[in-house]
Amino acid sequence: MDITWYLVLSALLFAVGAGGVLVRRSPLVILLCLELMLNAGNLALVAFARSSGNEEGQVFALVVMVVAACEVVIGLGLIVAMFRRRLALDVDEMRELRG
Amino acid sequence: MTFEAPDIDYAGLSPVLALTVGVVLALVVGLFGSGRRQRIVVSIFGLGTLAAAAGLCIWQWGESKELIAGALRIDDLAIAATLVAIVSAAFCIPLSWREESVERPLGPTGHGEFQALLICSVLGMTLIAQAQNLIAFFVALELLSVPLYVLCGSATRREQSLESGLKYLIIGSLGSATLLYGLAFVYGASGSTDFDGVRAAVGGAVVDDPLLLIGIALAAAGLAFKLSVAPFHQWTPDVYQGAPTPVTAFMAVATKAAVFCVVVRFFDVALGPAVGDWQPALAALGAVSIVVGNAGALGQDSLKRLLGYSGVAQAGYMMVAVVAASEAGVSALVFYLAAYALMNLPAFAVITIRERETPFGDHIRAVDGLGRERPALAAALTISMLALAGLPGTVGFIGKLFLIEAAVDSDYTWLGVMIAIGTMISLAYYLRVVAAVWMRPAAERPAGGAMPAIAGGSQEADTAGKGVRCRVILGATLLAAAATVFFGVLPSPLVDWAARAGESIAALP
Repeated sequence: MDITWYLVLSALLFAVGAGGVLVRRSPLVILLCLELMLNAGNLALVAFARSSGNEEGQVFALVVMVVAACEVVIGLGLIVAMFRRRLALDVDEMRELRG
Repeated sequence: MTFEAPDIDYAGLSPVLALTVGVVLALVVGLFGSGRRQRIVVSIFGLGTLAAAAGLCIWQWGESKELIAGALRIDDLAIAATLVAIVSAAFCIPLSWREESVERPLGPTGHGEFQALLICSVLGMTLIAQAQNLIAFFVALELLSVPLYVLCGSATRREQSLESGLKYLIIGSLGSATLLYGLAFVYGASGSTDFDGVRAAVGGAVVDDPLLLIGIALAAAGLAFKLSVAPFHQWTPDVYQGAPTPVTAFMAVATKAAVFCVVVRFFDVALGPAVGDWQPALAALGAVSIVVGNAGALGQDSLKRLLGYSGVAQAGYMMVAVVAASEAGVSALVFYLAAYALMNLPAFAVITIRERETPFGDHIRAVDGLGRERPALAAALTISMLALAGLPGTVGFIGKLFLIEAAVDSDYTWLGVMIAIGTMISLAYYLRVVAAVWMRPAAERPAGGAMPAIAGGSQEADTAGKGVRCRVILGATLLAAAATVFFGVLPSPLVDWAARAGESIAALP
């Protein structure tokens, strides 16, 4: 089975996600973009699993979904904690630590 | 249809099981009591868990066997990295004891949750050090990272801590996603998620497969984020400065030990036959890291930022051992990881103590005149700085010697020269701290005793130097500093230990 198009799509998703992490300012949107990057990896894994004929890639993708959910939970928790402290939810404003 | 009972090797799994039980216990015990009693009970369970896990690791020392259908493998390299992680976690627990109600992380059940997260991270490190396939590798990496994100943001009253937690989460997840994409391509090129399967496929026809090359590049970039290797290091000083200092100490030492262990397994073993593809890239990363880390540390006034940049440079030194891709390289790496723990932990302990005693936080002024005020602490900080700079008579010197030897043996002499140059630059900022400790008078403290809202800035200053807590912290600090000198003068026990860990990796390119 030819998986070229799946790989092209996953590369596009990965690029969109990485670009979003770099340019967007809201932490919420950045979390969405991180999800997009992980899902690009999932798509590639499933495509490769089809082409190589073993299911290990599909298992990997399922596991990654769980991990991605954990990351988002932590991210949202931190964002809520910042919101409660009335901190600006804008990564460009986070200059308390210079760098 | 007959069922065959799975063969479960409980002995090999015992450190992992002990830590898992410890996470649950710390959480449950943290619900009972509050304040002082809670702290004592939780710490007994937390330290007990770590001690049990360390004991089980030592019991399994010398074993070399596959666990869970080949997903994990316990051998001397894994055990060595696990022990380094356990020691730094055990060091972190007393440092995190604080006055009640002030600066307590995470609310009323703080100590239980803090130590449960800490042990959970150690569990992830234990698993990643044993990982034998891509799935276990990725899951264990997340298991060690996710609790660290929370720990970094755990001082919810401080803006800086929250900010560092979110920064670490974003950058860490970016690294994880990049790594995952790389692992997907490695799987696509080799058709297997097992390290052995990848090695077999890479040794066959796919060495020049573009899929494999893309995979290697992305995986190296993702791991470089985790290891804070330049040019993927920008988060390091910020997160180190913002996180509570005990967490910084743990993160700096233990993460490097565990992740470098899996880097050895992934690059030196699984991708061993493709050594020509990744060796120049990792060598470049190591060299850039040495230069950028040492140059960045020069102008820093914050001690935690200084140690952050110093960590970038040290990660560059350790990368040289991975590039060497030989048994000598792995032994040198394990030795340096242990040395790094011994050198770094006293420095962070002194910073934590001074953050509570002075109003300067982690600014270098906090250690001005320390030599006259607290000679024991000053000696520990001096030893740790001199060891990080690699002066003879300390464990840092022996460690750098082995790293350079491994580099030269593998025809990477120029990387050995880079280590030497980096060490020379690093003297400038390490000695600056030593000079502040011994040669400057104590900095004037602002009147009124108004503590700024900085890390650990509590009223504990009044009780400085007294109480069981302070004595435990001081004892652990002096012990680590003494070990730094002891293994610098008599390195043979640690060298033998590291050599055993190096021998456990049979298949090197």
